[in-house]
Amino acid sequence: MNDPELEELFQDPAHREVVDLLKLSRPAEAPPLDPNFRTMLRIKLMTEARRTLQPGGARRGFSFSFRPKALVPAMAAVAAGFLIVLGIQVYLQRQPESAMVAVDLSRIQNKSNVATGEPIVIPFSGPVDKTAVAKTVVIEPATAVTKQWQGQNLIITPDHPLAPNTTYTVSLKASQTPSAPNKQPTVQSTPTVAPSPVVVHFTTVRAPIAPVNPPSYRSANVSYGQENRLADAGTVFNGGWTPAGQLLVTRPAGQPGIGASPGASATATVAGPLAVGATDIWLMSGSGTPTRLLVQGGSFPAAAPSGAIFAAWQVTSGNHATLGIWDLQGNSQGTLATLDGVPDRAPVWIGMDRLAYVSQGQLLILGLHTGHTDALTIRMQHGSLAGSPVSTLLAVESDASSVIDLASGSSTPLPAGATSFAWSAKGDLAFVVPQPSGSLLYTAAAGKDAQRIASSPSGQTWADLSWSPDEASLMLASKPVGASSSASRLMLINTDGSGLKSFASQQEYSSPRWSSLGDLVLFTRQDEAGGRAFWTANTGPSQVDPAQKQALAEVDKFMQARLQGDSAVAKDGLDAAGLSAYQGGASSLLPAAGTKFDRYYPVTVQQTGSNPSKFLVGVRIFVSRSGVQRSFFEEQLTLVLKDQRYLVDAVTSTPAVLLGPGPTVLSFDVVPTSPGYQVRVRFDADLRPETVTTDTIQVRDSDGKRVTSTITFDPDNHMAVLTLTLRPGSIYQLVVLTGVTDINGGTLAQEYHAQVISR
Amino acid sequence: MPDFEERDLVERAKEDPDAFGALYDRYFPQIYRFAYSRVRDQSLAEDVTSEVFFKALRNISRYTYSGHPFSSWLYQITLNAVADHYRGQHGEVELEEGASVPSGAESVDDEVVRRDRSRRIWSAIDQLPRHQRTAMVLKFGEDKKIDEIAHIMGKSAGAVKLLLHRAVEKLRRELPPEFEAGLT
Repeated sequence: MNDPELEELFQDPAHREVVDLLKLSRPAEAPPLDPNFRTMLRIKLMTEARRTLQPGGARRGFSFSFRPKALVPAMAAVAAGFLIVLGIQVYLQRQPESAMVAVDLSRIQNKSNVATGEPIVIPFSGPVDKTAVAKTVVIEPATAVTKQWQGQNLIITPDHPLAPNTTYTVSLKASQTPSAPNKQPTVQSTPTVAPSPVVVHFTTVRAPIAPVNPPSYRSANVSYGQENRLADAGTVFNGGWTPAGQLLVTRPAGQPGIGASPGASATATVAGPLAVGATDIWLMSGSGTPTRLLVQGGSFPAAAPSGAIFAAWQVTSGNHATLGIWDLQGNSQGTLATLDGVPDRAPVWIGMDRLAYVSQGQLLILGLHTGHTDALTIRMQHGSLAGSPVSTLLAVESDASSVIDLASGSSTPLPAGATSFAWSAKGDLAFVVPQPSGSLLYTAAAGKDAQRIASSPSGQTWADLSWSPDEASLMLASKPVGASSSASRLMLINTDGSGLKSFASQQEYSSPRWSSLGDLVLFTRQDEAGGRAFWTANTGPSQVDPAQKQALAEVDKFMQARLQGDSAVAKDGLDAAGLSAYQGGASSLLPAAGTKFDRYYPVTVQQTGSNPSKFLVGVRIFVSRSGVQRSFFEEQLTLVLKDQRYLVDAVTSTPAVLLGPGPTVLSFDVVPTSPGYQVRVRFDADLRPETVTTDTIQVRDSDGKRVTSTITFDPDNHMAVLTLTLRPGSIYQLVVLTGVTDINGGTLAQEYHAQVISR
Repeated sequence: MPDFEERDLVERAKEDPDAFGALYDRYFPQIYRFAYSRVRDQSLAEDVTSEVFFKALRNISRYTYSGHPFSSWLYQITLNAVADHYRGQHGEVELEEGASVPSGAESVDDEVVRRDRSRRIWSAIDQLPRHQRTAMVLKFGEDKKIDEIAHIMGKSAGAVKLLLHRAVEKLRRELPPEFEAGLT
């Protein structure tokens, strides 16, 4: 029996025989298990763990979700490329003597443009008790952070982006490390932080403009603007946009980050297998600033349609690579598959929950929710492959190009040779079919019923399609049949096949990718050394016509006067009809009391028919209050030529669009009072007090029942305080419903749920 | 893993997602196996296992070392999750003392006989009353000490001994004749 417990328990021989049989009969086989289940559960758990676990076990929460709307401010702030570096003066207490370390708080103290997504670096000039110092760090408002040491630098990394336009306080509180008894202090002994706490205040950047396409945005009207090379030639191998307008790029390993001098140039390799561990994945701003190293050894990133995560390959060792998912902070969300060989193309998203990739010529589909990998009976190598961002459709170029519905398994054949697939944001497909003397351009609404919309000029071939964000235009690369890519140029065409025109006249541009905001186009360009480099070009309303330029100059004068609040000068830009329109309420010439027209820009200029004396100019006007941009609206100005001047003759306006994601729960605390408890919920914005009620902010017990409470609201501190009775040591749920709105009427973007533990 | 290392890992897992991931990697196999042994359905075992680890994640900040392995806590959560499932199914069907265990079958050769007996004796355990079954699975399937089983089940060690004793006695009485032959 060999188990003293069992021997003691079972003295009867009959029982012992049964026990022996039981021990011999232990099930030898492992229970059936889906091999992907374990991995997928781990991914989900780790995602939740990163969201909820907090250093120090603090009972404080921090609002965070992967919703793109909430990420936009953070990511844009990241693009600003700030690195928070704190110079801290501390007293290194050495026994029996003390020494003072040099300090410089000037780089952070009371700064107001601190990025929301970057680590806070605290350099210490001398040795300290690292554990003790790290434990003393407190950041307010309560924020989950990870603390680590790199040499003598304490790195405080917010687990989630800081709230925009919020003043934070970082303090290192006093900590005295007890001296070991009977031990003589020496100059080598570990010093400790002196009793005086160091306190730093800083304010994060304002939330940037929400990525809303203006109602009057017209891709067909844009023209090529200023261009900008992303980095030195050879330092970006491939790249693509995130939905929020940042770039995910593959760079050679070891490239510098912010503020560092670029390394030696190398010839760009735009495509093709990459050597083991030779590359890293970086997050870049649209202007080419490398803001964050995301994946060491990574390549071919592909942003998910949500924008919160991306898939990419990471070469591990030898001739293997793993397919993984990361968030835009560089946190791994899990490994999904292994590839025998070095990847030579990016994985492809199909909707939000599937990825396609090619392994040894086999097309594989990975279901992120199910964890299942399906091998399709399609052989392919380098053909075009593109997934719809909003459905289960995958366009595949193989021996017979087709659109496959991964939900039903059905397949819709496309014209023979269909390639260069591109899906629009709403799920329409565009592709080209090469012909001996040119190309045919097709579109297929929702991937069905492909319609030929245009043919290339004879002798020209088209490729590299990219939908404009308003889905009215396609950008493509055009070159003579049989010519090299050095003869390629970028063209624009309306999605009904009309209006083919040159976007950029240069003959060395290809692979255009329109940003989701429509303001930038990413493309590759042959450089002087014969390699290819990545560039972006900004786009703007066409200004080719002198009359248009004059009209825009008049608009600018008119708008500047309105921004300055100069009514007289503004009215000087109006004719009688225009003045009447404003006075009649068609729009507001000047901002309402307490607000300000903060800035504007033209979004479109259109000539009215062939009449050069009349233009329609769309302008986007941002309205601020208390120095913070709160909303924007657009005006469509009709300008007519009168006495050598263009005057505003008519105006229409759109409703205001609120900026920002609405209020956000910044933190909460559970505070024992006598009697009962208070749950204090802090928001990041001014709230409408009438929306802060026990209906919109609740504490629920483990059965989901609402705990009876009363609520008060402190508008100065954006804090709601629930007073209620809780069972000590029990777990409750704090629920903030979307009925809570800010003073502009912006609602909480999504319900906030957090665990509340009564002490 | 030495006890102090596990305790350190658990403490770190209260703050560090990677440490929690290490706990998951370590305990997934046995928790899944235990869950499967209780529900005998792959899909349901996956659901239970998922629930166990998410509950563990939500509550790990409250976990305090009680002298038993961390896995005991996970087994407790598993038992509760299984019980919750059956409560959701309008109550678990408890067999009365007189319920019978599966009847025997003809054996072909020794290996087949051994596998067949193994399958049937564990099927017989599956038919035991819930608490007896839990104690038997933890003792003979998971090799747990009686003290740990008592901790997991929230009972005294004496109560666990009684459960085991009754279960073995029941099996002895109700196993088919060929098992008796195999025992001799």
